[in-house]
Amino acid sequence: MAVGVAARPTVPRADTAPAVEATGLGRRYGEVWALEEASFRLERGQFLTVLGPSGSGKSTLLKLIAGFERPDRGHVRLFGAEVDAVPPHRRPIGMVFQRLALFPHMTAAGNVAFPLEMRRFDPREIPARVERFLKLVRLEGLGGRRPHELSGGQQQRVAIARALVFEPELLLLDEPLASLDVRLKEEMQLEFRRIQRELGVTTINVTHDQREALVLSDRVIVMAGGRILQEGDPETVWRDPAHPFVARFLGVGTMLRGRAEAGPVLRIGERLLPGRAPNPATAPRPGQPAVAALRAERVRIAPADGADGDGTRLAERLAGRVEDAVFEGERVLYELSVPELAGLRLRAIDRDPGGHARYRPGAPVSVQWSPDDLLLFDASLETGSDP
Amino acid sequence: MAIRGGRPAARAGRPPATAYRLSWRILDALEAVAARWPARAEGAVKWLLLAPALAVVGLLVFGLVVMADASLRVMDFRTYQLGEDYSTANYVRLFGWGAFHATLWRSLVATLLVTLFCLLLAFPYAYALTRTASARLRRVLLVGLFLPFFVGQVVRAYGWLVILGQQGLVNQALGLVGLGPYRLLFSYPTVLFGLVQYMLPFAVLMLAPALAAIPEEIERAAASCGASRGRTLLRVVLPMARPGLIAAALVVATLTLTDFAMPAILGGGTNDFLANLVHDQFFRTSNAGLGSAIALVLTLLGTTVAGLLLAAAGVGALGLRGAR
Ligand SMILES: Nc1ncnc2c1ncn2[C@@H]1O[C@H](COP(=O)(O)OP(=O)(O)OP(=O)(O)O)[C@@H](O)[C@H]1O
Ligand SMILES: [Mg+2]
Repeated sequence: MAVGVAARPTVPRADTAPAVEATGLGRRYGEVWALEEASFRLERGQFLTVLGPSGSGKSTLLKLIAGFERPDRGHVRLFGAEVDAVPPHRRPIGMVFQRLALFPHMTAAGNVAFPLEMRRFDPREIPARVERFLKLVRLEGLGGRRPHELSGGQQQRVAIARALVFEPELLLLDEPLASLDVRLKEEMQLEFRRIQRELGVTTINVTHDQREALVLSDRVIVMAGGRILQEGDPETVWRDPAHPFVARFLGVGTMLRGRAEAGPVLRIGERLLPGRAPNPATAPRPGQPAVAALRAERVRIAPADGADGDGTRLAERLAGRVEDAVFEGERVLYELSVPELAGLRLRAIDRDPGGHARYRPGAPVSVQWSPDDLLLFDASLETGSDP
Repeated sequence: MAIRGGRPAARAGRPPATAYRLSWRILDALEAVAARWPARAEGAVKWLLLAPALAVVGLLVFGLVVMADASLRVMDFRTYQLGEDYSTANYVRLFGWGAFHATLWRSLVATLLVTLFCLLLAFPYAYALTRTASARLRRVLLVGLFLPFFVGQVVRAYGWLVILGQQGLVNQALGLVGLGPYRLLFSYPTVLFGLVQYMLPFAVLMLAPALAAIPEEIERAAASCGASRGRTLLRVVLPMARPGLIAAALVVATLTLTDFAMPAILGGGTNDFLANLVHDQFFRTSNAGLGSAIALVLTLLGTTVAGLLLAAAGVGALGLRGAR
């Protein structure tokens, strides 16, 4: 409580209803369902990131929670209360918008004071509170400036302060970092995390930046095509993607296509590749088409004639050839052709490129991975809800 | 030239005539001419483009000088010539002329009231026009906005005569239920009504772009700050729409102050504005001196009203410099 926002309990009050509870939420524009079906619960004090490609319905979901639009089906409960009939300005929600939406005719301090005036805080208390929150976002002394006199990152902070100053019970962030350059973005991500921890406010953050999702969140929801594909903590979603789309969306990798056999095993031509089905619901049925995701950083490459890299038991050892090597600083991304896998281009990431040999394009290599890292899914899922 | 060098279609074996369109050849030719254009003429081109506008403004200034000259001479009614000597007699006469005072106040009050009513009515119209999600409603509102422009001011004023006259539609309708007839025409409220009805589209036209420039997200942000629709309107939308409001007020106020047709037709001589007075002096009493004096007063008033509005708006009004 470094900023002295002591009045706010970070632990839930006596009642234990979740902060947000969405059941079967859907919203339609004309004939198209922008959001088909969204059901989830968010416990108090948690940081949830909604991750998904453009047009997957993330903003639509936020609009329904904030109350800017009415759901065409389903319901939203906030802190146990049905809010379908509550207008947005009566909901205990602070929001930071994609294009910030600062009031251009007010100063930074005026922007931050606005929610306090609207929510009828004691006028004598307002200046001190504005000062405190400007300090929280590290904008001391800049309160007198108009938004257009502030840098992009500073405007961002004003928007955050404005959303937090009245201590909302729920904070909604609609990709407020999307327009920032990488450095500022990472700085602001940590800032969000710090402020969120300091105030303990329940937060829903929308983004299509997977790194942001993993760095910031207690929980992650991955969306595509207006549906929730997976919900879980960042590590689970990363390690055990429940859907081929999630596997492809997170990280860099290769999708292998073939037929499933019991085991589970992926058959490509004559080759049998043992793997793992992370989710029973999306596991391929034997004999049916299957798709497998293989993360680039789980693929090991070794000189074609050498022994296993580090002595671990690796099930597969395929002969390949380096087609392309992209130096990315802390890692090298290789594109490999593997004749046995019908000319498939396999991606592999090698960290610490200075520490050992680099392979040049054309070099013959042997390619290996652990069966645990080949994630198998029913191939019909890919065509189904793939955006 | 790079385009011609490429000519992908020609390489593909198609006839060159379709590969390189005539319009491109014409543009090429124009560019070739432009390339020969002496660099020295660059500055002259700017002035050349401004010339028509400058000529029009120059003519207006010239007219004003002539009027100022006439306003300082007294009409000799034996010869119907303006006197040789300069004097302020015309202005002194205006100063003590009761009918002039009455007309002056009538014009000014009308300007104030018509501007207020127009802004009040135009704002919801423009807001609905820029915010509605229904394409059909937007089309209806747009047609409603532009339709009046196809009907000139005079035609419209005569239309009101037909509707509001002693034998007009309104009185006939009232007669059916045994009321009236009432004298609806030739009164101050009727003139004001006609003016508001005439100016409304102008006001909407000036306001709509200003409202369209306010992102819907801003209004949502206000709501998420806890502001009801009414407070969002007062604290966010209206202040941000100020350039549009000022522009609309400017257009409506200056057009109303100098209006001639509405008071002439709907007022029927009973509710003249300053412009009617000028007209009478020139074409009824043939007193060009006095008429010029009134015209100059009117010009001065219009300038003052516009100046006050712009001063109230501060720098950046009308959004000309994009400073928000
Ligand atoms: N007002 C609207 N009218 C019609 N279609 C809409 C409207 N708003 C959103 N959509 C459509 O609904 C779908 C989901 O939109 P949404 O804004 O929720 O996507 P998003 O996940 O936020 O995407 P992004 O990452 O690009 O912001 C899109 O296909 C979009 O075109
Ligand atoms: Mg969005």
